[in-house]
Amino acid sequence: MNTETIVFALASALAIVFSLVMLFQRKPVKSVLSLVVTFFGLAILSVLLAAPFIAALQVIVYAGAILVLFLFVIMLLNLEQEAADKETRKIHFYLGILAVLGLGGLVTGLTLRAGNPPVPVGNGPFLIPAKDEIPLLGKVLFTDYLLAFEALSVLLLLAAVGALILSKRRFE
Amino acid sequence: MNYPIWLIPALPLLGFLLNGLASLLYGAAQAQKRGEEWRKAHPDEGHGHDHGSHEAAHGAHDSHDAHGHDHGHHDTGPMLPWALRLFHGVVGVGTVGLATVLSFGILVPYAKSVMSNVEGARPIVETLYHWIQVGGLSIDIAFRIDALSALMLSFVTFVGTLIHLYSVGYMQAEAGYGRFFAYLNLFMFSMLMLVLANNLPMLFIGWEGVGLCSYLLIGYYYDKDFAAAAGKKAFVTNRVGDFGMVLGIFGILALFGTTDFSFVDMARQQQMASGTPLGVYAVCALLFLGACGKSAQVPLYVWLPDAMAGPTPVSALIHAATMVTAGVYLVARCSAVFLLAPDALTLVAWVGAGTAILAASIGLAQNDIKKVLAYSTVSQLGYMFLACGVGAFAIGMFHVFTHAFFKACLFLGSGSVIHALHHEQDMRAMGGLAKKTPATHLTMLVSALAIAGIVPFAGFFSKDQILGSAFAGGHYILFAVGLVTAGMTAFYMFRLYRMTFSGTYRGTPEQESHIHESPLTMTVPLWILGAGSVLTGFLGLPEVFGKNLMVEFLSPSVGKMHAHEVSHATEYLLMAVSLAVAGAGIFLAFKWYTGQDAKFTPGAAPEDIIASPAAHAFFEKTGTLGKVVANKWNVDEGIEALVLSPFRKIGTFLWRGFDALFIDGLVNASAFMVELTGDLVRFFTTGNVRNYALTFVLGVLGFTLYIWMR
Amino acid sequence: MNAVEPMAVAPAAYLTVGTLLFFIGMAGALLKRNALSIFLSIELMMNAANLLLLTYARMRGDISGQVIVFFVIAIAAAEASIGLAMFVALFRARSTVDVDKINLLKW
Repeated sequence: MNTETIVFALASALAIVFSLVMLFQRKPVKSVLSLVVTFFGLAILSVLLAAPFIAALQVIVYAGAILVLFLFVIMLLNLEQEAADKETRKIHFYLGILAVLGLGGLVTGLTLRAGNPPVPVGNGPFLIPAKDEIPLLGKVLFTDYLLAFEALSVLLLLAAVGALILSKRRFE
Repeated sequence: MNYPIWLIPALPLLGFLLNGLASLLYGAAQAQKRGEEWRKAHPDEGHGHDHGSHEAAHGAHDSHDAHGHDHGHHDTGPMLPWALRLFHGVVGVGTVGLATVLSFGILVPYAKSVMSNVEGARPIVETLYHWIQVGGLSIDIAFRIDALSALMLSFVTFVGTLIHLYSVGYMQAEAGYGRFFAYLNLFMFSMLMLVLANNLPMLFIGWEGVGLCSYLLIGYYYDKDFAAAAGKKAFVTNRVGDFGMVLGIFGILALFGTTDFSFVDMARQQQMASGTPLGVYAVCALLFLGACGKSAQVPLYVWLPDAMAGPTPVSALIHAATMVTAGVYLVARCSAVFLLAPDALTLVAWVGAGTAILAASIGLAQNDIKKVLAYSTVSQLGYMFLACGVGAFAIGMFHVFTHAFFKACLFLGSGSVIHALHHEQDMRAMGGLAKKTPATHLTMLVSALAIAGIVPFAGFFSKDQILGSAFAGGHYILFAVGLVTAGMTAFYMFRLYRMTFSGTYRGTPEQESHIHESPLTMTVPLWILGAGSVLTGFLGLPEVFGKNLMVEFLSPSVGKMHAHEVSHATEYLLMAVSLAVAGAGIFLAFKWYTGQDAKFTPGAAPEDIIASPAAHAFFEKTGTLGKVVANKWNVDEGIEALVLSPFRKIGTFLWRGFDALFIDGLVNASAFMVELTGDLVRFFTTGNVRNYALTFVLGVLGFTLYIWMR
Repeated sequence: MNAVEPMAVAPAAYLTVGTLLFFIGMAGALLKRNALSIFLSIELMMNAANLLLLTYARMRGDISGQVIVFFVIAIAAAEASIGLAMFVALFRARSTVDVDKINLLKW
């Protein structure tokens, strides 16, 4: 067992355990915080997968910005007490569990049984180098994916404007 | 000098537009005025009822007060201002008069050229533009003047103008004066299109146009139920004929490859594009069905007597002199085609003869003065078809020509009588009018003699030649039927004459004091038409008296008559026989109807008051038959039982059984299915996001399972 | 030519972790009633998908997978801002974010 395997085991255990905490936690604030921990685990996995830039984004954007936004909203709306209500529709609850276990079991089982999927090796300019992946990612983003990148910036602008309009005082 | 032919129908069309527009504008202005007056009178109603008041005012403006039982005109609406009446009269009469002058300007030189060179006479054809061009078919807007259309044109315009002039006096008290003249001008336009057309589709435009005008004018008193119903009856009955007419036009197109009247020449030279004897027979029968509808032949004659619901000038112009002769014109126009199918001609002859005697017999027992004339018209049209059927097309057209004069005169005379008696049409309430209305009396006597066939009046020559042609052609039964009809005609015309003009007046003295002769615009046309009834006969003298100008004139259009050699002695004998029969009819009428009888009380049994004891004895012997005849042979009831009521039953079945159950059932069932599906699906549409998400995931699960299992 | 470094941990392990996280997220999305928690679960599902993408990119040695993850994160940011604004507006209108009490999504 090399270190990489140990790190993988710890990180994935962290992610899975805290995602389960998020699932069973009834208080929204605690859910968000446990999800933050899950995202840290995912960031570690990303580093193992030769994607340090994505790992940084995961921490900075997801954990640092998006989930903090969630926290703001939860506290703004003061949602503490509402989470404690009892489930009213039993049938829905059981059907939901059945669906999740069925589909999840099915797909997970398939993944485990199939082993390493036969993925053809890529080639060409996008080959991940052994070291310093970030310059290549930047190059690819600003050359081959430039149009999508710019479109994304417009999308973010629109999202900001939309959020502004939606959170205005009232819809008349 | 060449006059443009298209101006002849265009002038009345212009008149129609001017009169119609003026009438509409005046009507709208009146409605506006009345609406304002109403608002002034009801200031508290506010403005919310503007629309309603307009409608109410309009209704009041156009309605004619109910006025007793008569079918004549109603002078109860508000009279138009004199300036407007002058405008309508001048435009109405003026345009038609101009068209008449123009057409005689064309006709007279043409007639001269035809008479000087019968063999080489070419028709004048004036093509304006191509109307329809599809493949090899080309239909032009083209006008044609040949001998046949020239003859029609002459009396249509001449009699038409006189009747327009007459209407100026007769209709002056009517609120719908402008509307009346607009329709009358439209009728003249349509009739001239019909007469001047160079092909069958164009003729059909005129054909439908006169049908429309007939409908509009019969229903002139549209607020009266009987007038509206009569208009509808005329229209629907004509539709039956028109369907034959349209199919006939298609048939002509199939046979000759053209609808241009050049097919007549082709038929004369037996050049058919295709066709079997049966095909030609079918085409002729279909065209004749169209003619039956328009010219009121058995079994489609039923609309014409009811058409008397229109104003009397309309009856004179449309339902006696011009429009109803369109069928005869059509048959004469297609004479060459009919000659290719002798069986079809036999059919024409028998239908004509049957109509003649049937209508004449009904005419014997009518008491309404216009009804008698209506049945006499049907009967005379039967004569015309009889003539065409025995191959004497020129003689048939000659009868059309003479009939136009004396029947127009009779109708206008009856209109004058009705006018004098303030809308009394029942002859039992007349009598002794000879002294009160001398002009009407004299002109009607002349035209009655003409229609009865007394020498030397016009009807004698034409009718005698019809009978002569039937006899010479060997159609002895047709001849006999015609002869009996001639006797009946003489009888009922002089029954009418005696009941109307002879003896003493049978109304109240108060009514008697109001009897007056008609104004000059009405009597002048009467005099002219009376003179026509005397003189027109001399245009077609029988062969024994010399040259028959009419037959010779028409020969380029309808072909030479097959000369059946009959000795002069036989011809004289035939004339003597027909004169004797007519004389007997007149004698019987004079003997039975003295006109010197007790006062008339409405509701009394027919004939009870008027007829002499000898007549009463005769009526008692023929009790049942007499009643059936008086009831018009129960034809209307028969049609109701045999045609209309089965149709109504089929219609009811289709409505209740097919439409309501099956069609509606299909529609309702599909609607019900949608509703049911909606009810089911609504169960899933809870509006809850989690339900949707769950359904979605379950769907994905099912789909994954399916992929796996496969 | 195989320039891709062999992976120390079997790709199947990464894929299994991603799948598990995805279905945990799905369970939250289906079973939670608080709109914000559902939203949170969806974020988790999205990140699980990201992990799978990264794994495949690593297996293939192709950096395009990382580009797509980059885009997903950016779009998630946009989505989060709009979604949270909507919840704020929703809460203002109805004083609740319990999806069972909001059933306008019909007809």
